[in-house]
Amino acid sequence: MIDFWIILTASLVATSTAILGCFLIMRKMAMIGDAISHAVLPGIVIAYLLTDSRASFPMLVGAAASGMLVTYIIQFFNQKVKLQQDASIGISYTFLFAVGIILISVFSNDVDLDQECVLYGEIAYVPLDKSFIGDLYIGPRQVWILGTTLLLIATSVWLGYRKLVVTTFDPSFAAALGINVVFWQYYLMAGVSLATVVSFESVGAVLVIAFLSGPAATAFLITRDFKRMIFFAIALGISASIIGYYTAFWLQGSIAGAIATIIGLQFALVFAYTQLLRKSRIAKVLDNKALT
Amino acid sequence: MTPSVETHNLTVIYDKKPAVWNIDFTLPTGKIIGIMGPNGSGKSTLLKAIMGIIEPNIGYSKIFDQELDDVRTRVSYVPQRQSVDWDFPASVKDVVAMGRFATKGMFKRLNSEDNKIIEESLQKVNMLSFSNRQISQLSGGQQQRVFLARAIAQNADIYLMDEPFVGVDAGTEQAIINLLKSMRDAGKTLLVVHHDLHTAQDYFEHMVLLNTRLVAEGPTEKVFTKEILTETYGGTLTTLSKVASLLKEKDFPMRHK
Repeated sequence: MIDFWIILTASLVATSTAILGCFLIMRKMAMIGDAISHAVLPGIVIAYLLTDSRASFPMLVGAAASGMLVTYIIQFFNQKVKLQQDASIGISYTFLFAVGIILISVFSNDVDLDQECVLYGEIAYVPLDKSFIGDLYIGPRQVWILGTTLLLIATSVWLGYRKLVVTTFDPSFAAALGINVVFWQYYLMAGVSLATVVSFESVGAVLVIAFLSGPAATAFLITRDFKRMIFFAIALGISASIIGYYTAFWLQGSIAGAIATIIGLQFALVFAYTQLLRKSRIAKVLDNKALT
Repeated sequence: MTPSVETHNLTVIYDKKPAVWNIDFTLPTGKIIGIMGPNGSGKSTLLKAIMGIIEPNIGYSKIFDQELDDVRTRVSYVPQRQSVDWDFPASVKDVVAMGRFATKGMFKRLNSEDNKIIEESLQKVNMLSFSNRQISQLSGGQQQRVFLARAIAQNADIYLMDEPFVGVDAGTEQAIINLLKSMRDAGKTLLVVHHDLHTAQDYFEHMVLLNTRLVAEGPTEKVFTKEILTETYGGTLTTLSKVASLLKEKDFPMRHK
């Protein structure tokens, strides 16, 4: 049963992030996830210091607030200051993460937070944090949080699908249709913030980033249809969770590390395959030419 | 007759430098109108300001004597082809279908009527057989045709096109201009950003000559003169001689002498 809960946790994260990741990589913003997952740290610490508890809700609010703050700062640097997107991301999240680290070290006596845990998470502990309705055990708490998040993200993307696609592919055309391009940008970023914030507690920031960019990038190599790309990315993310879990079990190693590695291997394999396919196609064309 | 587009004191400033400065004009309907000017003269910016994509710092514009928001479904905008990532995973049909979103709203499914319009639009730009093709596999000319098909699918009354002739093959250029002429004959107004002086006289009946400021606006035969072109293009030696030879060709057709 423990296997099942861990794999389910990873798969729920994989699904939310795969959906969002497809939009992010087509907007050349995959590293936004990186920024958000690091920038949540000061929000978490401040929430902790203010409420003096490690209850999930205030921390989630703090994290989401600093997650949205970093997307706003990045947008501001990029659009108003005309700084490059990558430079805007680099300067803003490192700053916020550093503020978080200073807060932890200054208040180290009061703060029972581990920055290692923020970065790497500990998915193996997910089944230990149990939820009950009365006396009835209904699964780990994280599974419920992540499940709700997935439902929320999937519904929001479904409702805003056309606008998200048009603003991603052709923002000027979208603006000419009267679509508020900036609003949909933040709509997407709010989703990314939410997914990142609720996921990193269980799987860690690094795996969240791997889930956001890897499966979407691999799916991009496989298909040239955006809807199919989303479904492939989800399938790749879930399969990486399953394979990664058993790899970690076999190696007695880190689960998050193994899943992230499998995501990388999936990309490498698909890339090698598409290259081979391309070469054989070219060879075929050349053969036909030689015959005529 | 209501004017197609009018602008009043339209000014857009990037940083400290104005991109377009104090533009005032009123354009006729049912004509192919060229917006001409050298690089960086604010042609695209002007179009974007009219479409509300860029907020002007001063001034305003109207379309068919109304606010843009009230006539959006009658207006179609064709951005520069290079402004989008053609590796986006979509088919030709997917892109043209975006032209239907304005009238369909963002949630209704496309019905057979929409599909018919999409097919007709692709037919008009001679791309129907490419309908399921991935957009990443298109040539520059084909990409431009797809953008035009998307605009046609909007079934608007006025079309604002940003450099539709850039980087397309001769065949496509001819096909596009023929298409624009047939749209004009159907009563549409076409506002086209263009920079090739050689073809300008043949393509446009009316012109806006721009160099940050409005240099001239009017029927081609009145504004496409040496003096105005010199003023627009700043009188660099090469453009000047080009202009002189262009005008000469028109006045004394050398070949027939």
